[in-house]
Amino acid sequence: MEALPGAAGLRAWARRHAYSFLSSLGALTRQPIASSMTLIVLAVALTLPTALHVALDNVRAISQSWERLDTLSVFLTADIDENEARRMGSRLTLWEEIAAIDPISPEQGLADVTGQLNLGNVSEELASALPENPLPWVLEITPEDDTVLTALVDRLEREAGVSSVVVDLKWLERLDAMVAVVGQLVLLLAALFAVGVAFIVANTIRMDIQNRREEIEVMSLVGATPPFIRRPFLYTGLWYGLIGGTLAWLIVWFGLIALEGPMGELSGSYNADFTLSPPSMEIAALLIAGSGLFGVLGSWLVVNQHLRRINP
Amino acid sequence: MIRFEHVAKRYPGGIQALSDVNFDLHKGELAFLTGHSGAGKSTLLRLIALLERPSRGQVLFDGRNVGKLARRHIPYLRRRIGVIFQDHRLLSDKKVFDNVALPLMIAGVSYSEIRRRVRAALDKVGLLDKENMYPPMLSGGQQQRVGIARAIIGKPPLLLADEPTGNLDPEMSADLMNYFLQLNEVGVTVLIASHDLELIRQLGRRVLVLKNGAMIDDLPSRHQPTVSDHGQS
Repeated sequence: MEALPGAAGLRAWARRHAYSFLSSLGALTRQPIASSMTLIVLAVALTLPTALHVALDNVRAISQSWERLDTLSVFLTADIDENEARRMGSRLTLWEEIAAIDPISPEQGLADVTGQLNLGNVSEELASALPENPLPWVLEITPEDDTVLTALVDRLEREAGVSSVVVDLKWLERLDAMVAVVGQLVLLLAALFAVGVAFIVANTIRMDIQNRREEIEVMSLVGATPPFIRRPFLYTGLWYGLIGGTLAWLIVWFGLIALEGPMGELSGSYNADFTLSPPSMEIAALLIAGSGLFGVLGSWLVVNQHLRRINP
Repeated sequence: MIRFEHVAKRYPGGIQALSDVNFDLHKGELAFLTGHSGAGKSTLLRLIALLERPSRGQVLFDGRNVGKLARRHIPYLRRRIGVIFQDHRLLSDKKVFDNVALPLMIAGVSYSEIRRRVRAALDKVGLLDKENMYPPMLSGGQQQRVGIARAIIGKPPLLLADEPTGNLDPEMSADLMNYFLQLNEVGVTVLIASHDLELIRQLGRRVLVLKNGAMIDDLPSRHQPTVSDHGQS
């Protein structure tokens, strides 16, 4: 007569795990409609923060590429002539914040302005109509990538012969600030939805436990340890989380594909070349692993609460 | 093997299920536990399998105080006790084979070993040809025998049965009792709660009588093991 105190060893452990693993898959397939509804809720819930993050990432990338292209226009005072302007230009190129300097003559400036205003033939008339060119010499400065623009502007404004420095960066700063705000929002939403995932899974597992109450009691009666009873439910929670996260990622992916055409037209109308970049591998991994983790957490909550009732 | 010392159980709400119960059940013994419904038979069995903890007194299993057992040790205690219920407690969505195999699955026994032992247990209760059926497809008596197969598959030293013949006709009940006697003969300690007084008297084994939660009688066994008894199988 040998009793069953519990077969020890790695093989017994592996067998028990295999049993839990299979039994958790059974739980998902036993009620395909209920579990797919849960999965869809999870996927939709997770899509929102992910999509927002992807949108934000793209805006950030675009704004960075604009910032790099941005130049400062240094308007010199009217009394500075070509020689002085060129001399000043070559002196400023030595500053390490400055990548390149392009001096623009008043004539070229006028031509640019009239050209940009798209006045066509009128521009020539306009140019000849002016008694003299009202524009000063302008130094167009391309700063180095990592330059703090405001500091450079300050320094340039202190130079002799500089009338004003024009940086149209206000809107870029605002965009940056907005991106930061939305970035914070994404973090908050991600935290909120992570909790959401845990509770959606918890609720689904709770119903699963209700349906399998008898099975749990019988297992407990014939000597199943709480971890053994808990494990299939934790696996089920993990599957919900992993599959829900993967679905969310797929939804975002397909969303990007759907947006590709309209986005191409939009960027074409700006003569620009924007493409939407998909979520990075890190984000995809974080999304899927994170929702898996919170799935496990959610099922842990309910299963433990239930097990406490069975074992006095 | 089992010793109750001044055991009392009071449920929340003030229902006194057991009061000051004392008795000993020795290794290899078979005893009946009888009394009216509500006398505390089920509670007594539940205290042994630690489905409940006593309010007062001690329940000793192999000299260990079960009532004080830490929660994490409960499963290992239950693996040494086979329990049979009046309502079978079988899982209706699992095949007979899987129902019987459950205690072995839980213990992590290898599949080939499970297969061998489940077959042997089903053979013993005469249901080998039903292993692929689902419990609701079987008769009450057959379901009860599946429950017995599950209870004995882990070869527990102690078997508890709570009204095992409650839903069966007299012929089947007698059959079932024979299984218990056979198990007892190979050394399993058996405690059967039943109010089938006729059947109990016929068998002439030890009878513990409960009334309103108190142990009012302990009739010793009239059964004398004989050589011919041991010769039977």
